[in-house]
Amino acid sequence: MSVIWIRAEEVKHLFMSLGHLGPWWQSLHRTMLRGILGKTFRLVGYTIQYACIAHCAFEYVGGVVMCSGPSMEPTIQNSDIVCAENLSRHFYGIQRGDIVIAKSPSDPKSNICKRVIGLEGDKILTSRPSDFFKSHNYVPTGHVWLEGDNLQNSTDSRYYGPVPYGLIRGRIFFKIWPLSDFGFLRDSPNGHRSPGD
Amino acid sequence: MTAGMAQSQGWVTRYFKAFCKGFFVAVPVAVTFLDRVACVARVEGASMQPSLNPGGSQSSDVVLLNHWKVRNFEVQRGDIVSLVSPKNPEQKIIKRVIALEGDIVKTIGHKNRYVKVPRGHIWVEGDHHGHSFDSNSFGPVSLGLLHAHATHILWPPERWQKLESVLPPERLPVQSEKESLHGSP
Repeated sequence: MSVIWIRAEEVKHLFMSLGHLGPWWQSLHRTMLRGILGKTFRLVGYTIQYACIAHCAFEYVGGVVMCSGPSMEPTIQNSDIVCAENLSRHFYGIQRGDIVIAKSPSDPKSNICKRVIGLEGDKILTSRPSDFFKSHNYVPTGHVWLEGDNLQNSTDSRYYGPVPYGLIRGRIFFKIWPLSDFGFLRDSPNGHRSPGD
Repeated sequence: MTAGMAQSQGWVTRYFKAFCKGFFVAVPVAVTFLDRVACVARVEGASMQPSLNPGGSQSSDVVLLNHWKVRNFEVQRGDIVSLVSPKNPEQKIIKRVIALEGDIVKTIGHKNRYVKVPRGHIWVEGDHHGHSFDSNSFGPVSLGLLHAHATHILWPPERWQKLESVLPPERLPVQSEKESLHGSP
């Protein structure tokens, strides 16, 4: 009988200590956990908000882009950083001679950076440099003809044909790196390439 | 300036600040949602009859366009997709995907009888052949022009349905390089 009585005392002590745990748990919940949970939700909320603002800015205004590849030399060298604006695309103000960023026709996940040589309806010299006979073609409606400034080393419309206007993402108008070449971009070094536009 | 007027001015500036804060949060989030996740659109024209707009000009279907599904440019044969028109960048067209890159299609009314779809392109056709401005007119389209995947008809209510990705058997590609994810049709 005395053994049972001692066990009941132990159980009573156990419950009393658990009882002390209660307020401790409540204060922990109030300060730490709710604080952490609240902070996490706020962080997620801010991230979503800034991601949306970034999307709207790049989609409708413009952004900073790094170009890679030799196809636009000497105007844009490899690893140059340039500014692109997307307003011209939305208002259909892309002109001949503009340098544009477009989605690659053969790989929608990568971008190409070329100069607009001809708009729809223009007559373009379409033969490749290696062809013996020169051929001319008209740029179809809704398309543009893109060529890199480095004609010897550029895969462009002479290879994959006219590019639909809908693939154009933005227009490059300003270079910010390297600082030695800071400023607005030059005209094409190749002169006028479309006869009678 | 009386104490009452000062109080109401404080109320106005506080309301204005709250409105601006809400505006700059709500507008980018809404625009991003409509551009990247989903939006709705009214279908015009008869090129997708009888799947869409069977009633002609009397009642236009309203479809749910899902951008999220095509964020990696993954489409299957038979999907109904919306894309930027290659002939008019101001317009979006809605057609069915008939063939993926590498497939050889037998064309209807195209200048070549058989066309192999190049890399990064798809072949789209309207269900109403002969009344459709599609790949049979302008050739394969680049995947970069893909806008969204039309998944459901939302209006009119009697036409509520999920749009199935079925390929009519007479339009199966002559030869396919890629198997679709759900197995061969």
